[in-house]
Amino acid sequence: MKGDSNLRDGLLSNRAKQFLGGVSVRTKILGIVLALTLVLGLGVTWQVRTTTSRVLVDELDARGTAVVSDLAARSVDPILLNDTFALHQLLAQTMANHQDVAYAFVVAADGSVLAHTFGSGGFPVELIDIDHTSAKVVYESAQGRIHDFAEPVFEGRAGTARVGMSETRLRSLVGGITAQMLLTTLAVAVFGIGAAISLTWLLTRPILDLVATTRLVGAGDLSARARHWAQDEIGVLARAFNHMVADLEDSQATIADKEAARTRLLDQLITAQEEERKRIARELHDGVGQALNSLALGISSLAQAKSPEVAAEQAAQLRGVTYETLHAVRQLGRELRPSVLDDLGLAEALEHYAAEFSNIYPEFRVDTHLDLEVRLPTTVETALYRMIQEGMTNAARHSGGRTVSVLVSQRNGWTQAIIEDDGDGFDTDAVQRSGESVGIYGMRERAELVGGRVRFESSSSGTTVFVEVPT
Amino acid sequence: MKRQVATFIAVALLAGACGSADAEEMPFVDLSLRAPAPAAGTGEITPLRVAVAAILSPEGNIESYGALADYLGMRLGRPVEIVQRRTYQEINDLLESGDVDIGFVCTSAYVRGHDDFGLELLAVPQIDRETVYYSDLIVAADSSAVGMADLRGGTFAFTDPISTTGRIYPTSLVEQLGESPATFFSRTVFTYSHDRAIAAVAEGVVDAAAVDSLVLDFAFRRNPELNVKVIDRSPAFKIPPAVVAPGVAPRTAVELQELLLAIATDPAAASVLTSLGIDGFVAVEDQEYDAVRDLIARVDPTP
Repeated sequence: MKGDSNLRDGLLSNRAKQFLGGVSVRTKILGIVLALTLVLGLGVTWQVRTTTSRVLVDELDARGTAVVSDLAARSVDPILLNDTFALHQLLAQTMANHQDVAYAFVVAADGSVLAHTFGSGGFPVELIDIDHTSAKVVYESAQGRIHDFAEPVFEGRAGTARVGMSETRLRSLVGGITAQMLLTTLAVAVFGIGAAISLTWLLTRPILDLVATTRLVGAGDLSARARHWAQDEIGVLARAFNHMVADLEDSQATIADKEAARTRLLDQLITAQEEERKRIARELHDGVGQALNSLALGISSLAQAKSPEVAAEQAAQLRGVTYETLHAVRQLGRELRPSVLDDLGLAEALEHYAAEFSNIYPEFRVDTHLDLEVRLPTTVETALYRMIQEGMTNAARHSGGRTVSVLVSQRNGWTQAIIEDDGDGFDTDAVQRSGESVGIYGMRERAELVGGRVRFESSSSGTTVFVEVPT
Repeated sequence: MKRQVATFIAVALLAGACGSADAEEMPFVDLSLRAPAPAAGTGEITPLRVAVAAILSPEGNIESYGALADYLGMRLGRPVEIVQRRTYQEINDLLESGDVDIGFVCTSAYVRGHDDFGLELLAVPQIDRETVYYSDLIVAADSSAVGMADLRGGTFAFTDPISTTGRIYPTSLVEQLGESPATFFSRTVFTYSHDRAIAAVAEGVVDAAAVDSLVLDFAFRRNPELNVKVIDRSPAFKIPPAVVAPGVAPRTAVELQELLLAIATDPAAASVLTSLGIDGFVAVEDQEYDAVRDLIARVDPTP
């Protein structure tokens, strides 16, 4: 049995949970407000009605007892003196002077009615038959509930005084109070519904708005933002949500930018590779090819040499051509990859490059201050080398200045390179935003690959590039 | 949940509607069922109607004469009904018209009734072997008055207009002072019974009153602390008699007289004598009331 009832309780509570979970917050709040208002209003009404009824009926009984005692005391003389008119007057006064008295009459000891207040229409004979073993008898009548009080006159020797007290006025009084309270309850309930609707609107509006925004974001619209309604918990949630979406949008934009730059870089890399190949092919065709051609012609001519002297002279010329060709091939190889970086380190390689740079751009003055005590990993050295090379090339090609200085130092676990020119400067932000400059993007990529960073500062008096890589 | 709330509300409303409905069965009385009010039954046997003058208040008379009425009823084998009226004159009227058979009346009422319409004496009560009574002039116990002369300008309670002790004798006292009650007192009232006159003095409603000495003695016996004192006593008057109406059959009158005169020797009447405070009844002659007759003639020559 107990198990059954537990099971039933469990099922009930589950169903209640399901039901409660199924209705909207609006319904819940509305339900709570309505239920509370009605329970409180009806409870208080019922309580007041019960208490008032009891108090009024008690008071009616007290008054009835007092009235009938008074009537009995004042009836003695008129009864004993057979003064029926005085008795009638006494009853009429009793009726007139006391509220709720429905009737009054006096019965003589022999059962005859000496006087009554029912007028000329006769006397309600059933009243005589009421069994008055107690002083008060309550009965129902067509005129409502009546409390009938009896009091012996002169210890019963002169008869009995009877007074009927009607509950009608009390009932209507209690009814009026009840109606008033029910009306108040109704008014409060209506007001409560209004308040609940406003409250639920206030509560659910931001939530529904947040839900709508979430769906927009889910569908890919990262520009969607939840409206900020208030500073409450939901407001905090909306702000956090907006913050998250903004971060997401930023990060997506960054990814898209990088993707675009990477694509451009790839394009340019392929183009550059093709051009490099063309240049090498041209170098091979124009330089080495021509040299080998003239070597082949020289060797043919040597084979037909008229005399050993001429042959020796021609052989010497051929050797010269061969050396030049060898030099050209070496130069080509060095340009493709500076072996000096592998062999002698970054400082030497940079010195070499500076010298070459002066050859290529003779109008440019190059200052180098290289202070490298620790050798860096090959990848880092290569990256740093290429970044400095790019920076110097950019200065020579685009700055319009006359001097470029390169300063490399090591400090606190970082290797820092500063490439500074005295040119016209450029709008670093605009260039970086546009993503047009593959060079700048390439420098950034290289730095990030080895865990470093690049910073550009530019003004009308020149541009400074700060490169930092971990040592 | 919603159904439970609805159930609760329904229960609350129902409870409210039922309000203080009591569980007990309520009888129903049809007040519209009217009939002529039940009147005093006109029994086959005509009751003996005994009038008692308002020497005492109506309740006091019932307490004193109730036992006598019961005793007479038992002895006569017919119901006896006590009839009271506010004034002595009304009792005399009833005796004259024959609406009552016998009466216990005041001395002056007897004298007037005898002289006017032939009221006859039956017997007089004997108290402490005496058949006289007095008019006692009483004032509050703390009053400084010692005689009627000291009551000038005060208030005075008469008992009944034709009471010997309650009005006629005190009026004669005032007249001896050469005044009339209307000028001598600032105000006079009628209390229509002797015990109420005593109460009026004791409670300070009036300054003084003149009362039946028998009633005053009885009042003092009941309450020795009574707040009144006697400052003047009249000469002895014959005690108030029991009388028979002129219309009563002589045989009945004799039967009644014999019953009253024998009451002292009837053991069944012991409680009657106790409640009346008397030894018994004795015969009396009309001339024994001449003193009262003279007094009336002097004070109220034409009633």
